[in-house]
Amino acid sequence: TEWNVSLWGKRRAFTEHVEKLAELVSEKTGGEFTLNISYGGLSKNTENLDGIEIGAFEMAQFCAGYHPDKNPSITVMELPFLGISSLEQERDISMAVYEHPAVAADLARWNAKLLMPSPLPQYNLAGVGDVPSSIDNFDGLTVRATGGIGAALGAVGAVPTSMSATEVRQAMDSGVIRAASFAPHAHMSFGTIENATWWTSNLNPGAVNCPVVVNIDAYEALTDDERAALDGSVEEALDYYIEYYENETMAKWWPLLEEKGVEQVSFSDDEIAAFREAAAGPAADAWIEENNARGLPAQELYDLVSGMVAEGQ
Amino acid sequence: MESIEIGLVVSAGLLVMVILGMRVAFAAGLAGLTGLIWIFWAKKGYDPAQFMWALEVAVKTGGQVPHSKVASQALSLIPTFILIGYLAYYAGLTKALFTAAKRWIAWVPGGMAVATVFATAGFAAVSGASIATSAVFARIAIPEMLEVGYNKRFAAGVVAAGGTLASLIPPSAILVIYAIIVEQDVGKLLLAGFIPGVFSAIVYALLIIGMAMTIKGFGPSVGGFTWKERFAALPPAAPILIVVLTIVLFVYNPFGGEAWGTPTEGGAIGAFVVFLMALYNGMRWGEFKGALLETAKLAVMIFTIIWGVLIYVRFLGFADLPGAFSDWLTSLEMSPMLILVCILLAYAVLGMFMDAIGMMLLTLPVVYPAVMALNGGEMVSAADSTFGMSGPMCAIWFGILVVKMAEFCLITPPIGLNCFVVAGVRDDLTVQDVFRGVTPFFVADGITIALLVAFPSIVLWLPSLA
Amino acid sequence: MAGSASVLEDDSILSRLDRNFYKLEKLLALVSGLTVFGLMLLAVFSVSSRNFFNDPLPGYVDWIQQAMPLIAFMGISFTQRDGGHIRMDMLVGRLSGRPLFIAEWITTFAILVLMVLLVWGSYAHFQRSFDMSMPLWSRDSTMDIGLPIWPAKLLAPVAFSVLCVRLVLQLASYTKAIITGETEPVAVPLPVDVATQAAQEAEQVSGHD
Ligand code: NA
Ligand code: NA
Repeated sequence: TEWNVSLWGKRRAFTEHVEKLAELVSEKTGGEFTLNISYGGLSKNTENLDGIEIGAFEMAQFCAGYHPDKNPSITVMELPFLGISSLEQERDISMAVYEHPAVAADLARWNAKLLMPSPLPQYNLAGVGDVPSSIDNFDGLTVRATGGIGAALGAVGAVPTSMSATEVRQAMDSGVIRAASFAPHAHMSFGTIENATWWTSNLNPGAVNCPVVVNIDAYEALTDDERAALDGSVEEALDYYIEYYENETMAKWWPLLEEKGVEQVSFSDDEIAAFREAAAGPAADAWIEENNARGLPAQELYDLVSGMVAEGQ
Repeated sequence: MESIEIGLVVSAGLLVMVILGMRVAFAAGLAGLTGLIWIFWAKKGYDPAQFMWALEVAVKTGGQVPHSKVASQALSLIPTFILIGYLAYYAGLTKALFTAAKRWIAWVPGGMAVATVFATAGFAAVSGASIATSAVFARIAIPEMLEVGYNKRFAAGVVAAGGTLASLIPPSAILVIYAIIVEQDVGKLLLAGFIPGVFSAIVYALLIIGMAMTIKGFGPSVGGFTWKERFAALPPAAPILIVVLTIVLFVYNPFGGEAWGTPTEGGAIGAFVVFLMALYNGMRWGEFKGALLETAKLAVMIFTIIWGVLIYVRFLGFADLPGAFSDWLTSLEMSPMLILVCILLAYAVLGMFMDAIGMMLLTLPVVYPAVMALNGGEMVSAADSTFGMSGPMCAIWFGILVVKMAEFCLITPPIGLNCFVVAGVRDDLTVQDVFRGVTPFFVADGITIALLVAFPSIVLWLPSLA
Repeated sequence: MAGSASVLEDDSILSRLDRNFYKLEKLLALVSGLTVFGLMLLAVFSVSSRNFFNDPLPGYVDWIQQAMPLIAFMGISFTQRDGGHIRMDMLVGRLSGRPLFIAEWITTFAILVLMVLLVWGSYAHFQRSFDMSMPLWSRDSTMDIGLPIWPAKLLAPVAFSVLCVRLVLQLASYTKAIITGETEPVAVPLPVDVATQAAQEAEQVSGHD
């Protein structure tokens, strides 16, 4: 069996689990089952779910926040200030959410089965100009942040601005915005860290959730051996991914902050708590109400996530 | 059949359809759709019972492309810049610019043609779309060149070639699209285009002067303008300068404070200023409607090509042709500079059959990383690099080279949009006429590209200051 | 691309259909042009509200993405009617009469096949984003402010259907010309003959500046 896999961009930390999965699956089946990975050749990233439903390819990665209405159930993972503190935790909670029957049914509308997450660290802000000493300083701060994170920052007086990721660097250099919210690897690849003077090390406003899915028909058409090889490789692929992100990407990140003289701002626990109070509660309530209207067990999903976060602490 | 062979057969089929006179956008779309059906059916071993499945998957895959590719912020610059072109035309700005260029420059050998080149170069500082520039100047400059006895093919060629300057001299839709595809700094790229754009214009002018001095009956110089007339021509053309200043100040605030917006927004502000000028100069609803309809027509023509070509590109993706090309490129055992030259030559060939944007969308995801790798990686320092420039600088240099190649493809047969547009405006010219008239400029572009490759500082000096 | 080819008219039903349908096509193209203008105003509005009021337009990018299909698709049939979609005419340019119309019939039919398939494909694309049981009937939304995408996706099959009708009209005219052997059929773009060319030239000289 040969499967086509639709990713986008180029090979990077964010895609290493899929690369590893392809390697493991081929190894375990003696080359009988191969994953043919394409970076952007098969689909636009926002339409990977469409391609899965059509049956154009058998596996794909996408981010929930690209199109909330396509996958409302998993946007619970993108709510601001969930308090997820590590890639491991993000992985465990994502997996639990993916296994929830309502979530499986939500994705089954696209003939898609959730296979594994692509855990990302928190989307902390990098910015230019005066270093914020407290959350109050966010008042009037122009910041590029989308979705729930943008809404959360808006709740404390910041001014979220939308633009495509590639324009962010220019916008920041020219003063159109003063800060941007990205994961560290994106701060590096979009160059926002080049001229930044500060980075919020513990604001942890949230992250996006980017699962890898498979086409259900193709999955069921696999032989038992092939399916076992695929299912049995997920854990190892994720272990590899997390190790890679922590040891390769983050290993570049900290020295880069030092080298560029970027000040790491950390806020007091009280301040963070106040921010959460202002932003997280209302966002969660709105999410629950909105998704009840879609017929999802929204409260249950939210409780599942917040319960696991609380347990972890 | 191997998918790569399917890719080659379908590509040959596309060429045949285009030569037979099928409208290019639809030929590309049909080739892409046919190819997708073939690929999916081949996957099922050509089982007759599976043909309908293959058809359905192919049609649904191809049917995503028009909406999905067109709904993009990057491409929104194209219609905006086309609108600027037509509004400037109705505001009388282009005419004033041409008149000023004529009175100041037309005394040199080949004067009217040289004046046309510099008028298009000046207009390029307002316009970000090559075809719009050619479309507008075809109406203004060609009649005047014909009046003084130029060969009509050459006159058309000058306008088609002059139009390409609009995409190097900022603002430029295509440079922004390059920046977005490769994720580089838009501002520096736009800055980098300025000197190569002016440089191209000078090479064009020198070529024309050379031709005028050697070819008999080429076209007279047009002199006899008094200094009074020359200076009188400046005020009507001055609003162009205001528009340029607006865009520049907008994007590069020189007062050290905050800029007011991104280059994308700068383009829209420029269009708005031109719109106000057109209103001030007495544009009425009828003319405005005309400008809108012409903008719509040119925009839809380009977007139809874009999505048509992209259906074909999607098929190439499934046939894994870009992957095969990339493997081949990185396996070559040649000097990096020779590989770069081969890439540029490949662009020249590919550019014959594609429009600029389609070509960049098709090739850059594969070629750009390969070129960056040749130079030693995205983060390489100038000292450790192959081409003697840092990663970001190499991205700018290669970007200007690619855009210059993409502009070159706008004037090369069989598919050269600028030539089609000029022929479309002028009923007395066939597409073949314009292609014949534009051939001398291939030489000029060849020289320009060779110099930009040999002396990267032409490109990199300005952005290195920023 | 004004008048690179001319479309003849007479009192026949075919020509009347052509002219009436052209009015619709022109209206759609004008919608496209107005959208370009609107996009420009939107940018000015977005920039000024950010700079003067520190209150950027939320979802500016989302709105642009919603507007682009209007610009890109609505004029497609208008452009086809006037022969504005580019092509190589080195071969067809040498033909006239029946051989020309046979060649035109074949390529026009090929376009019709493509467009019928794309109406299917783009409608399926719309359908995947549309769900009557969901709020705002939406099963696909934009990234920043969550606008439903289905209206924009619906524009493609609508505009493509209009083009299909136009292609059928053109095929009818070519078919008639092939059967009757007439050399100047109505309702299709023809290479401009010398006379009309002269007329248009005069008009152009006396026209805008
Ligand atoms: Na320009
Ligand atoms: Na070409």
